[in-house]
Amino acid sequence: MELEAPQQIHSEVRALGARIVVITPELERYTRALHKKLNLSFDILTDLHLKVAEQFRLVFTLPDYLRDLYKSFGSTLDRFNDEPEYRLPMPARYIIDKAGTIRAANVNADYTIRPEPSETLRQLRTLSAAAAD
Amino acid sequence: MASLQERLDEFKKSFESGAPPYKAPHEVIETMHRATAELKATGIEGRALKVEDRAPNFTLFNQDHVQVDSTDLLRQGPLVVSFFRGHW
Repeated sequence: MELEAPQQIHSEVRALGARIVVITPELERYTRALHKKLNLSFDILTDLHLKVAEQFRLVFTLPDYLRDLYKSFGSTLDRFNDEPEYRLPMPARYIIDKAGTIRAANVNADYTIRPEPSETLRQLRTLSAAAAD
Repeated sequence: MASLQERLDEFKKSFESGAPPYKAPHEVIETMHRATAELKATGIEGRALKVEDRAPNFTLFNQDHVQVDSTDLLRQGPLVVSFFRGHW
């Protein structure tokens, strides 16, 4: 669901001169399959061992009790992400301008809350209007 | 079409109802809520990079094992970067 949302707006994002990338700790052999399955037009980049997520200061470690719960469901983060310590990035969406400055930041520790794609478009339009001035 | 958050909320409601197809036990839902509350309480959201901060450059492999450099992308225009925890 959360990768279909950026896909829906990607052509509009491209029309605004911008592009989308998704960064995930998931290993390439899984992102390749996911990319193909969802027929995505933007890249999924593998952030092995969360080196980039660390720089954005988004990384946390799942508490033991939650790790055990996920394991009981058969979810194995160590296999998909090679993260034996069960570290994850918080869900986050950034808009970075051409100069490399962050112009919009949306970070939420509650992974059930996500920014709306329409909001991303609105922010990009504001940015491109400002660049045209 | 419903907004992304509406669809996520719908999923959450269905999951947390304990009804099929997920049949999530009450304890499981409580555990997930506890973890989210504890994570928020650490103040981690406030420490993440924010508006006006300089974005770190990155070079990563994409799904086709092609190296992608953020500097090259930014030369062409603004970049929307989404962090995704994976589909595990």
